[in-house]
Amino acid sequence: MNFGLTNDQKMLQKEVRNFAETELKPLASEIDVSGEFPSENIKKLAEMGLMGIIVPEKYSGSEFDFISLAIAIEEISRVCASTGVIVAVNNSLVSYPILQFGNEEQKQKYLPPLCIGEKIGAMGITEPNAGSDVAAMEATAKLNGDHYILNGTKRFITNGTAADTFVVFAYTDKDAGYKGMSCFIVERDLEGFSLGKHEDLMGIRATGNCELIFEDVKVPKENLLGKEGDGFKICMNTLDVSRIDIGAQGVGIAQAALDESIKYSKERKTFGKPICHHEMIQNMLAEMATKIQAARLLVYYVGYLKDKGVKRFSKESAMAKYYAADIAVDVTRKAVQIHGGYGYTKDYPVERFYRDARILELYEGTSEIQKIVIARDLVK
Amino acid sequence: MNIIVCIKRVPQTAEAEVKVDSSGKDIEKDRLIFDTNESDTYALEEAVLQKEKFGGSITVITVGDEDSEETLRIALAKGADEAIRIKVEDLDELDGFKTAQILHKIIKDMDFDIIFTGCLATDDAYSQVGTTLAKLLEIPHASLVTKIELSENSADAYRELEGGLLEHLKIKLPALFTIQTGINVPRYASLIAIRRAARKELNEISKTEFGEMKSNSFIEELFTPPVSKLAEILSGNPDEVSEKLTGIIKEKGLI
Amino acid sequence: MNDIFVLIEHRQGVIRDITFELLAFGRNLANKNNAKLTAIIFADNSKKIIDKIKTQADKITVIENPIFKDFNAESYQIALAEIIKKENPFITLIGHTAFGMDLCSSLATELKIPFTTDCLDVEINGKKLSVTRQMYDGKLNVKLQLQENDSYLVSLRAGTFPAEDGNLNAEIEKIESPISAEPDYRKFIEYIEVVAGEVDITKSDVVIGIGRGIKEKDNLDIIDEFADAIGGVVGCSRPIVDAEWLPKDRQIGSSGKTIKPKLYIAIGISGAFQHVMGMKSADTIIAINKDPNAPIFNEADYGIVDDLFKVIPVLKNKILEAKA
Ligand SMILES: Cc1cc2nc3c(=O)[nH]c(=O)nc-3n(C[C@H](O)[C@H](O)[C@H](O)COP(=O)(O)OP(=O)(O)OC[C@H]3O[C@@H](n4cnc5c(N)ncnc54)[C@H](O)[C@@H]3O)c2cc1C
Ligand SMILES: Cc1cc2nc3c(=O)[nH]c(=O)nc-3n(C[C@H](O)[C@H](O)[C@H](O)COP(=O)(O)OP(=O)(O)OC[C@H]3O[C@@H](n4cnc5c(N)ncnc54)[C@H](O)[C@@H]3O)c2cc1C
Repeated sequence: MNFGLTNDQKMLQKEVRNFAETELKPLASEIDVSGEFPSENIKKLAEMGLMGIIVPEKYSGSEFDFISLAIAIEEISRVCASTGVIVAVNNSLVSYPILQFGNEEQKQKYLPPLCIGEKIGAMGITEPNAGSDVAAMEATAKLNGDHYILNGTKRFITNGTAADTFVVFAYTDKDAGYKGMSCFIVERDLEGFSLGKHEDLMGIRATGNCELIFEDVKVPKENLLGKEGDGFKICMNTLDVSRIDIGAQGVGIAQAALDESIKYSKERKTFGKPICHHEMIQNMLAEMATKIQAARLLVYYVGYLKDKGVKRFSKESAMAKYYAADIAVDVTRKAVQIHGGYGYTKDYPVERFYRDARILELYEGTSEIQKIVIARDLVK
Repeated sequence: MNIIVCIKRVPQTAEAEVKVDSSGKDIEKDRLIFDTNESDTYALEEAVLQKEKFGGSITVITVGDEDSEETLRIALAKGADEAIRIKVEDLDELDGFKTAQILHKIIKDMDFDIIFTGCLATDDAYSQVGTTLAKLLEIPHASLVTKIELSENSADAYRELEGGLLEHLKIKLPALFTIQTGINVPRYASLIAIRRAARKELNEISKTEFGEMKSNSFIEELFTPPVSKLAEILSGNPDEVSEKLTGIIKEKGLI
Repeated sequence: MNDIFVLIEHRQGVIRDITFELLAFGRNLANKNNAKLTAIIFADNSKKIIDKIKTQADKITVIENPIFKDFNAESYQIALAEIIKKENPFITLIGHTAFGMDLCSSLATELKIPFTTDCLDVEINGKKLSVTRQMYDGKLNVKLQLQENDSYLVSLRAGTFPAEDGNLNAEIEKIESPISAEPDYRKFIEYIEVVAGEVDITKSDVVIGIGRGIKEKDNLDIIDEFADAIGGVVGCSRPIVDAEWLPKDRQIGSSGKTIKPKLYIAIGISGAFQHVMGMKSADTIIAINKDPNAPIFNEADYGIVDDLFKVIPVLKNKILEAKA
C-alpha cells in the first residue's frame, strides 16, 4: 500500500495549481455572474494538456492515469467549479468512452481535436422524462441505409452550447429494453441538430448547459460507438469512471471553502478574539478538514482501482461520488456559517462554493441513485 | 548554444507570515509554500527561448536538498535537457558566496556558451551568486538583464538601471547573465512534458566531493525589523475605515 | 584603523544620491573608529564631482580616464581592485545599486575578501565586522558576522542613510588609471532612456499605486474608477509591469520612477525597498493591504488592513460624497 503521490502526480499538482491560480481563478467569479462559457480558457487548458489528461499520447493526449485526472480536476475545481466540470466532461464523459469503446478510426478522428482544444465534447443521456431512470429515455435512432435517423431531446447538457462533438444515447430497438440502447458520436453541424433552452443554473453557471434537439438528424453509420445495443453498458461504464471526476470536483470545492474559512476565521474577531479561537468554529474547521481528506482518499482509491485495471468498481465509485458530494455541500454550508452574514454576500466566494457544491448531489446520478448502487451491491 | 541555468527553490514569503524558529537563526518552514525563485523562472524561460532560436541544449543546476528535485524536474518539463543537483543537506549554512563556489566546482569542467541565473533570490536576497560565479569562472557577466540579443560569439545585453534607464553592453561569449523579471513571459509545463520529466534521470553530485568551502558570513540572529515609523492603522469595517480615511484626506486638503 | 573607502557613483554627469548617503554613513563610521574616510572617484573629468564632495571626506583619490566616463563594471573592477590591494582599506563601501550589484561580487572575489550585499547597518568591533540586512521579502532582519579579515567589502542599501553636509577639506590625490582601455570582452555601448507615455506619474499631486494584490488585469478598472474619483493617476509596482498590465513608465521604485506627490496610496503593495525608494518622499502615504505584517505599513502614515476589493469601492463612494 502506498499513500504517496508519484513524482509526476506531484509535479502535475503543483503546475496545475499554479496555472489554475493564475489563469483560471481571476475569471471564476465573473463567469459565475455572467454565466458565460470560458472559451478563452479552453485554449490555455488544452495547451497545458488538460483537455485530454487520460488520452494516450498517440491521440494527442497527455497519457496520465486516473489518480492524476482526479488531482487535476480537484485543483481546477478549487478555483473554478465550472471549469472543473467542463474539463471533466471532455475527459471522462466524452474522450473516455470513445477511447474505451470506439474503433481505431473513431479514435483517430475524434480524440485529437478534443485533446488539443480544437473541439469541445458533451454527453447527452438525460431527457425531460428520463433522468435517474436512464432506461426511460425516448430518443430513437433508426438505421436507414448508411446512416441512422436520430430523434429526441436531451436536457441539461453540460458544455452543450460550446461543444462540437457529442456522445449521445438513443434506442435503436425500443422493444429490447435497455439492451436496445445504443451510443453515437454526433457532430454539431449535422442538419436537424439544434440547441434548445439554455439553463440559468444555481451554480456551475458557466458550463454552457442547454437542451439538444435532434429532428431527423442523419448520423453516419460509422458514428455508432461500439455495437448496436451497447449503449446502456457504455453509459454505466462511463459513469463509473466519470464519478472519479465528480468526486474530485467535490473535494476541490470543499478544499477551497476550507481554505477561505481558515483565512477568514483568523481575521474576524468577535468577543475580543479571532473567531478561530472559539471552540465551535474550531469544531467546524476540524470536521471540514477531516471529511475532505476522507473524501479525497475515497476518490484516489477509485482512481487506483481503475489504474490497476480492476473491471468493476461501481460500488466504490458510487461511494466516492456520493461521499464527496455530501461533504462538499456540508463543508461549503459550514464555510458560509463561519463567514456569518458576509458569507451570504457576493463579497466572499463561499456563497458561490455553496451553490456550486449543490450540483454534486444531482448530476451523474443523484445521491439517492449512488446509494441504490451501493446498497444493491451490499445485499446482492 | 549550450546554456546553463542556475535555479533555486525558495519559500514564497510575500504574502505569508514569516516566523523565526527556536534556534533564532532560521525561519519556521513547515507552513510555507516553496517554489522556483521568481527571477530564476525568467532565466529558465530566456534559456528556452534562446534554445528555440539557436538550438543547443540547456542544463539546469541547483545546489539544494532533496525537495529541490521537484524544482529541477519542473525545469526539465519547461524545456531544460539535463538537470544536476548538488546535494547539500544543511541549506542554512550556505551564503551566496559559498553557493557560487560550489557551482563553480562543477561548471568549470562543463562545456557552455552562456550561463543564466536569476538576479536575486527572494529568500536571502544576496544578488551575489551569479556575479560571483562569473568571476570564479573568469568569464564576463552582466547583471539585471531585461533584454538580450545573441549572435555567434557575442551578446548585446541590456541592463536595467535606476529609473528604468537601460545600459547597453556588448559582451563576448562565453558569459554569464543575471536575469531580471519581466524579460519574457515564463511558460507553464505541459502535462506531457511533466510526464517525461518525471521519469528523467537527475544527476546528483555530493557537495563533499568538492572539499571544504568557506562561507563569507555566519548568521548571528534573525529578528523582526524594528519599526521606525508605523502607520496609524484605521480600524473598523470597510465603511468605517473609508469614512475615517476620507476625513483625513479631506482635512489635508487633498480633495 | 585603516581607511574607510567610499566609491563615488555618478551617471550622465550627475552624482547619484547614494554617493552622499555613503559619504555620510562612512564619515560616521570613520569618526566612531578613528579612521580616515577616502572617497574614490573614477571619471573622465572629476572637477565638478570633487567640488560637490570635498567637504565630505578626508581624502579624495581621483582616477581620471576617458574610459570612466560611463560605468563599466569590468573596468571599475580591475582598477579598483588594484587600488584596494595597494591601500588595503579596512572597509570599502559601495551602493547596492544597479552599478554596485554589477561590480561588487567580482571585486570581492578578485580580492578574496569577505563581502555582503544590501546592508542596512555596519558595526565594527576590533577586527570583526557585522552587518544588518534583510531577508524574506523584507519581513525579517538578519545580523551577519563576516569572516574575520583585514579588509572587507560591503554594499549598502540606497535610501537608508540620510545625506549630511560635511565640514572637511579633503586632500586630493590623483593617480594613474591602472588600465587604459575598456576590456575587449565587455564594452559599454550606450544608455537608452525609457520612452515616455501619455501619463507622467511624477507630475501628479495624487498617485494611486497598485501592486500584485490586484490579482488580475481586469481589476485595474476598479482602481481607474477610484483614481478618477479622487483625481489622481495610477502608478504601480514592478510585477504589474512585468505582467504587462501597465506600461513601464508607470512603475514606481528604484528601477522605475521616483515620485513626490502630495498623496500616495499604495494598494496591494507589500512595500519592498525597491518600491519604497520610489515613493517615500510623498507628503502623505496611505497603505491598503490585507497582510498586517506587510513592510509597507512601516512607511505609511495611515494604514488599512483589509481586502482592497472590499475597501476601494466603498472608499471611492465616500470620496465622491465628500467632494460633492
Ligand atoms: C447542471 C446540470 C448538468 C448536467 N449535465 C448533464 C450532462 O452533461 N449530460 C446528461 O446526460 N445529463 C446531465 N444532467 C442531468 C442529470 O444527470 C440529471 O438531472 C440527474 O440524473 C437527475 O435526473 P432528474 O433531474 O430527471 O431527476 P429525477 O430522476 O426526476 O429525480 C428526482 C428526485 O427523485 C429521486 N429519485 C429518482 N429515482 C429514485 C429512486 N428509485 N429511489 C429514490 N429516489 C429516487 C432523485 O434522487 C431526485 O431526488 C445535468 C443536470 C444538471 C442540473
Ligand atoms: C534590482 C531590482 C529592482 C527592482 N525595482 C523595482 C521597482 O522599481 N519597483 C517595484 O515596485 N519593485 C521593484 N523590484 C521588485 C521588488 O523587489 C518587489 O518584488 C515588488 O515591489 C513587489 O511588488 P508587489 O508589492 O506588488 O507584490 P508582492 O510583494 O507580491 O505583494 C503583494 C501584496 O499585496 C497584498 N495583497 C494581496 N491581495 C490583496 C487584497 N485582496 N487586498 C489587499 N492586499 C492584498 C499582499 O498582502 C502583499 O503584501 C525590483 C527588484 C529588483 C531585484
